[in-house]
Amino acid sequence: MTQYELDDAGVVVIIGSGAGGGTLAHELTRRGVDVVLLEAGKHLTAEDFVNDEWGGYEMLSWLDKRTASGDWRVARDHPATPSWSCQVVGGTTTHWSGCCYRLIADEMRARTVYGDIPGASLIDWPITLDELEPYYDLAEAKMGVTRTNGLPGLPANNNFKVMYAGASALGLHASTGRQAINPIPYDGRPATIQDGFTVTGDKVGSRWSTLNVEIPRALATGKLELRPQSRAVLIEHDQAGKASGVVYVDAAGTRHRQKARAVVLAGNCVESSRLLLHSASGLFPQGLANGHGNVGRYYLRHIIQTVWSVFDKPVNMHRGEIMTGVVNDFVRHDPARGFAGGYYVELNSMGLPTTAAFLDPGWWGRDFAGVIERYAHIAGMLLSGEDMPQAGNCITLTDELDAFGVPVANIHYDEHPNDLKMRSHGYKSMVAIHQAAGAKRSIEAPAYPASHNLGSNRMSARAEDGVLDGHGRAHEVPNLFIADGSAFATGGACNPTLTIVALAIRQADFMAGQMAAGAL
Amino acid sequence: MEGIKAHKDPKLPPPIEVAEGPEWVEALTLLDRDVAHTLLAAARTLYPHDGLPERVYRRVVLHFDRMAAHSPAAAQSFAEFVDRVDAAMPLPFRELSESYRVAVLKGMETSAAFRLVQRSTVRFLYDDVEVWQAFGYEGASVHLGGYATRGFNDLDWLPDPPAGI
Repeated sequence: MTQYELDDAGVVVIIGSGAGGGTLAHELTRRGVDVVLLEAGKHLTAEDFVNDEWGGYEMLSWLDKRTASGDWRVARDHPATPSWSCQVVGGTTTHWSGCCYRLIADEMRARTVYGDIPGASLIDWPITLDELEPYYDLAEAKMGVTRTNGLPGLPANNNFKVMYAGASALGLHASTGRQAINPIPYDGRPATIQDGFTVTGDKVGSRWSTLNVEIPRALATGKLELRPQSRAVLIEHDQAGKASGVVYVDAAGTRHRQKARAVVLAGNCVESSRLLLHSASGLFPQGLANGHGNVGRYYLRHIIQTVWSVFDKPVNMHRGEIMTGVVNDFVRHDPARGFAGGYYVELNSMGLPTTAAFLDPGWWGRDFAGVIERYAHIAGMLLSGEDMPQAGNCITLTDELDAFGVPVANIHYDEHPNDLKMRSHGYKSMVAIHQAAGAKRSIEAPAYPASHNLGSNRMSARAEDGVLDGHGRAHEVPNLFIADGSAFATGGACNPTLTIVALAIRQADFMAGQMAAGAL
Repeated sequence: MEGIKAHKDPKLPPPIEVAEGPEWVEALTLLDRDVAHTLLAAARTLYPHDGLPERVYRRVVLHFDRMAAHSPAAAQSFAEFVDRVDAAMPLPFRELSESYRVAVLKGMETSAAFRLVQRSTVRFLYDDVEVWQAFGYEGASVHLGGYATRGFNDLDWLPDPPAGI
């Protein structure tokens, strides 16, 4: 592997190797840019992964302490882990279940289309869907998204048969949807064997991740140095206010300072906002790139909830890929529904260990026991919908320091009335689908720790409305970028990974262009 | 459940061994035997599956024992939990009938000690391969070739969706 000197100020330093950082590393290196990729977690391989829900959780998760406040139920159910992502080379792409849907044009013009919603701080994206679409095309090709680039859809599994029967009976439209999981061999990766364990690392490699696609290809260019177990703790800047390097701690606990031509944060919402806030200085007293107080603000986590229903006959939802189903009828903004924005109903399965843990945390007794004993007869669905950005929903620093001397982050989230209306509407839709397929009992399960973390360093046309411009570059620091979901101007409804990847490819084009022009 | 076979990933350690007789408590490393018996009664009251054998609940308590040995804070919480449930009624908790045990637990649902015991019971009970077998969760599959030829689409009580949907 190529190695760069710590005082080499010609490298781009990327913090985080997930969907955004891992993709950007590949896209920059293949354009000839020198990149150092810092990843807090270990470099694991398919051999290391296990087919086990808790085993995988403990192996992959970012388990450092966080605190939670606000009226969201997650603050009660999961007070020390309100947000969830992975700490491993490949980031949360080692966990994801592959859903790949595009934002729609209305979602990228949310303020214009939804109007002025009291209590919400909606903006339009500083870029349009037309500008993003060529990059969605590139993202789908590299990820091998089903039903694009000549790939078929994934086949219907047991859980989908239930969804399809119920949705069809109600006149709704269900399909197995689009996933970055191979139905047939594609791009050197095998077809799925329907093992049902993409969420614990994917031992087979049929699902795209930065671990198995982007990072190996970036290394093959000879332009990437990957430094696993390297925890970024501070971003430094020069007297002119440009980012100059990153301080990080290696596996042995030794501190290093890597100089940089440009710095890119891609550590998921909480870590990227936390690092910016912690990197305060005389020139940036409120934190780096935070002159308008927007770093950490407008945090979004999507409307996520599940419905689990018990049927007379076996479903065996655990067999096969876990999210191969979607109902698209509620995606478009429709004021007649009484709330702004839309949602996807997606197939969802879990094994017995996590079904029991997330069915309704805190529920115990004979009623719970009677439901969970019927595990083999349970079908599941998940809702992913747009939540409203609010000024008070934010990531802040607490007085408590972690093992690296960085303040522990607090995540505050209050639900907006629009969020509650969408939740209620969504539960009704999901229960109706299962009931139409013959469900005997349906459980409306709450959100689990947020995994669609978005918006806390958002893009905005005007500097006072956000943190970044339309290329993910800080309004206030010309060589500081963000390549994770925190850059989203608004959340949209769909699973965010495809959009994060498309934005990272677009960002690489921009950065390489600026470098070639001598401007970066 | 008949017709299925539950599998743990072969890379994981085997389940904790537990004796069938009263000598099972000899496997405890840190927890007091009375504390262990009370926690056993609590686990069974929280998640009462009449069809499951005693040993799966004993394994949960042996996991609690490991937690307590690993974390003094957890050990303290288990001790507090047992003190509270035993002080709630004129009889020790484990001698109470089920309805009284339920009432005692309902009275302390908001406490940190209850939360630890309840969440930890879920964590370990439903991760037990014998419970998987009983409730029909087959578990690890890659080492068996996945479910592609082992029933991922074998549901036959609803019509099959159109091909390619």
